[in-house]
Amino acid sequence: MESKHRIQITVNEEEHDLLVHPNRTLLDLLRYDLGLTGTKEGCDEGDCGACTVIVNGKVMTSCLVLAVEVDGAAITTIEGLHQGDELHPIQQAFVDSGAVQCGFCTPGMILTTKALLDEISDPSEDEIKHYLEGNLCRCTGYTKILDAVNNAVQLLK
Amino acid sequence: MANFSIVGKRIPHRDAVEKVKGSAIFTSDIKLSGMLHGKILRSPVPHAKIRNIDISKAVKLKGVKAILTSKDVPLIKYSISPTWADKLILADTKVRYIGDEIAAVAAVDEEIAEEALELIEVDWEELPAVFDPLEAVQPGAPRLHDEVENNISKTMSMECGSIEEGFAEADVILEDTFQTQAQSHCSLETHCCIATCSPTDDVKMWVSTQAPHPLRQRLAATLNIDAAKIHVSAPFIGGAFGNKIDLEPAQALCVLLAKKTGKPVKIEHSRKEQFIATRMRHPTRCKLKFGVKRDGTIVAKQAEVVLDNGAYNSHGPAVLAYHNVMFSTLYRVKNIKYDGRLVYTNKNWGGACRGYGDPQASFAQEVMLDMIAEELKMDPIDLRLKNANIPNEVTANAVQITSCGLKECLTQARDKSEWTTKKAHKQKYRGIGVAAMIYTGGGSIGSGFNYSGATLQMNADGTFHLLMGALDIGQGSNTVLTQMAAEIMGVDPESISLTTADTDTTFPCMGTFGSRVTFCAGSAVTEAAHGLKKQILETGAEMLEANIDDLEMKEKKVFVKGSPDRSLSYAEIGAASFYKKKKPLVAHGYYNGPEVPPEFNPVTYEGYPSPALVFGTHLAEVEVDPATGKVEVLNFVAAHDLGRAINPLLVEGQIEGGAVQGIGWALMENLQFENGEVVNPNFHDYKMLTIKDVPKISSLLVETVDPNGPFGAKGIGECAMVPTAPAIVNAIYDAVGVRIKDLPATTEKVFQGLKTQG
Repeated sequence: MESKHRIQITVNEEEHDLLVHPNRTLLDLLRYDLGLTGTKEGCDEGDCGACTVIVNGKVMTSCLVLAVEVDGAAITTIEGLHQGDELHPIQQAFVDSGAVQCGFCTPGMILTTKALLDEISDPSEDEIKHYLEGNLCRCTGYTKILDAVNNAVQLLK
Repeated sequence: MANFSIVGKRIPHRDAVEKVKGSAIFTSDIKLSGMLHGKILRSPVPHAKIRNIDISKAVKLKGVKAILTSKDVPLIKYSISPTWADKLILADTKVRYIGDEIAAVAAVDEEIAEEALELIEVDWEELPAVFDPLEAVQPGAPRLHDEVENNISKTMSMECGSIEEGFAEADVILEDTFQTQAQSHCSLETHCCIATCSPTDDVKMWVSTQAPHPLRQRLAATLNIDAAKIHVSAPFIGGAFGNKIDLEPAQALCVLLAKKTGKPVKIEHSRKEQFIATRMRHPTRCKLKFGVKRDGTIVAKQAEVVLDNGAYNSHGPAVLAYHNVMFSTLYRVKNIKYDGRLVYTNKNWGGACRGYGDPQASFAQEVMLDMIAEELKMDPIDLRLKNANIPNEVTANAVQITSCGLKECLTQARDKSEWTTKKAHKQKYRGIGVAAMIYTGGGSIGSGFNYSGATLQMNADGTFHLLMGALDIGQGSNTVLTQMAAEIMGVDPESISLTTADTDTTFPCMGTFGSRVTFCAGSAVTEAAHGLKKQILETGAEMLEANIDDLEMKEKKVFVKGSPDRSLSYAEIGAASFYKKKKPLVAHGYYNGPEVPPEFNPVTYEGYPSPALVFGTHLAEVEVDPATGKVEVLNFVAAHDLGRAINPLLVEGQIEGGAVQGIGWALMENLQFENGEVVNPNFHDYKMLTIKDVPKISSLLVETVDPNGPFGAKGIGECAMVPTAPAIVNAIYDAVGVRIKDLPATTEKVFQGLKTQG
């Protein structure tokens, strides 16, 4: 196996100086090296969106990103949204709207919504659907997820 | 309408905050010190004899800690019932499908475990294989299980009334054949388990399962160890849909690897393994013959059914029984004949999958009804109303119906969807279709078991702790069941702490399936809560020196009616029970019902013993693109008789999720096989619906208040996808005149149908 590489990343505003194997994915780095297990692995092929994180303001499926590729990046995971007991308005909207069932897709859904609303503060239904198309959910049928995004828009106003 | 303060309220999931914060722990999030990783070697061929397995190279790989082959494991077959047991956790002499378990490795990491699998050499003698159930039953077809002739695992035949006389009475007779395809459950979390084994052989397992208590029993039986030595605990479950009820070989192998190495072992399925080697919806072929009178009365119905079992049984025999029961019980038909066969093929095997055979039965029956309505020039909803089940009837197949809101579902869905207007003013390429359903709303005691237990205790500070075997797999039972307890105790449901899904600390529960938890676990919880309420009042009566009949419970106090100053807080009662009386207050509830009626015939499933039946209607409006055949679902109405909605927000979530799973099955989802190999074992090629594909689902909650259900409630989980596909397919026919009889109704099939019309 090739030798480890040194990377410096900021995750949820905390700086990390790490040695990683060149084949380590960002997903495994977050889950197993940093213990941030809120980021989920649903397929490991970039199809389901459960492992979505925000890297330098853009959503990425962390299972398809190598840790060495994000050297120097600022990363937000689901653990970085709430401030103590106070939920981020998007998290609160997901709770209140009944948009969470099993919860496995939820972190990815919420982070994609965050990236969407950071970019477009009052999105149309088509824009919401376009952004969330890559996040699969088997439980909710998406109806209440759409409600949650719309409710989050109101909470953020 | 009864006046409740907590039941009937739209309360968000009590676990939702943990889940949105990313702090909810699922099985795959657990990491134990020294934990090894297990991987399974699976058959790459559909049918072969195993001549020899050589692990000599693999054991030498650095980091490999244990390898198991069939020589190292008990050769005890399992299924959901000993009667149907046909599966070994590791194949000994033969493999029967691509994915069959051959060996298991535990290593220090996943990469080494995978490398070790590649070093295991298997010497095969490939055998002819059979993939089509109709070919599998032919003389001379390759035989999967030596003891099973013609590959027929089970047959089920039933006749009620006289089918011959029924057809003789009919004005119109219609016959046709309908086929349905395999569907994968697609829970976002794959199967995962972690096992430890102490030096005294005590096993602890954290596992993504729908049924911790039955899993403990099945592990004990399959591994030949005492069930009391196995402790199963389920963390948060990332969806299941039927796929996590049965024992998975990985779970048994995980225990054995932990035992052999003395280390914790984790086995987590890849997404590909989830598609190729965990259960799926049974494909079916259903030949129907219906006889009707000119006025729409169905006088006879007959089904000849083949369920494609795949290589092993799992739930197959029970799914066949449910296919029969649901087909036969829906509508008031006097003369019914059912002949079903469950047939082995060299493919992945079917299992429990949301609806348990009923979506397949519903597809055939409800498309047939649409064809009958057209033949009779009758409105499809009127035809269904004409034959609809009614409350308190006993059906021809001896099923006792209690509450029944089928007619209300049909008429409310009709009004909500503006069916009449849309039918009268039909737009080109747009169509509207309907389908109805029946299902169990509380599991069944056909196997003798339909149990759920609960314990409610008052803590020393007057708060409450609820212990239940039932587990929340995302559907919301933790919320709904604490709502029931909170209503009776007069407290905020959030204030009730919970222990669930743990075999060592809770009374057993059959598990979360069969749309049974609200009814069965709810019955146990309400029994426990009423029991505890009585104890609290008795304690209060003694302490207040009052007559128990004069006492009331309100706002966490017990007080004498009319004298609010003569009162005790729950905290005072809790403290007194622990410290003065030294007798903590605790009450149990246990459900295992209903009583099996004498009419129940376990061979034909006449007299099917369910505590409650539920009914529903789905109504879909679609638009078909004439240039491509692409179907867009524009509007969708789902009306469900669920007795009473304990929590409408969560009920809607079940209905919306079920309907979308049903639309996916209707239009796109298809686990496809070529020569026994799944050719689309990933989310890219196996098309689940995305947020872009779904219409708004309008849920109508029809509250019939079941006489036996807790607060009148019945189940909903599986029911929500039962009539979806036929509603869509009937809408496609209404739109463009293309009749799909073979799911899924893909763009290509609709396009071919349009082309045939010219």
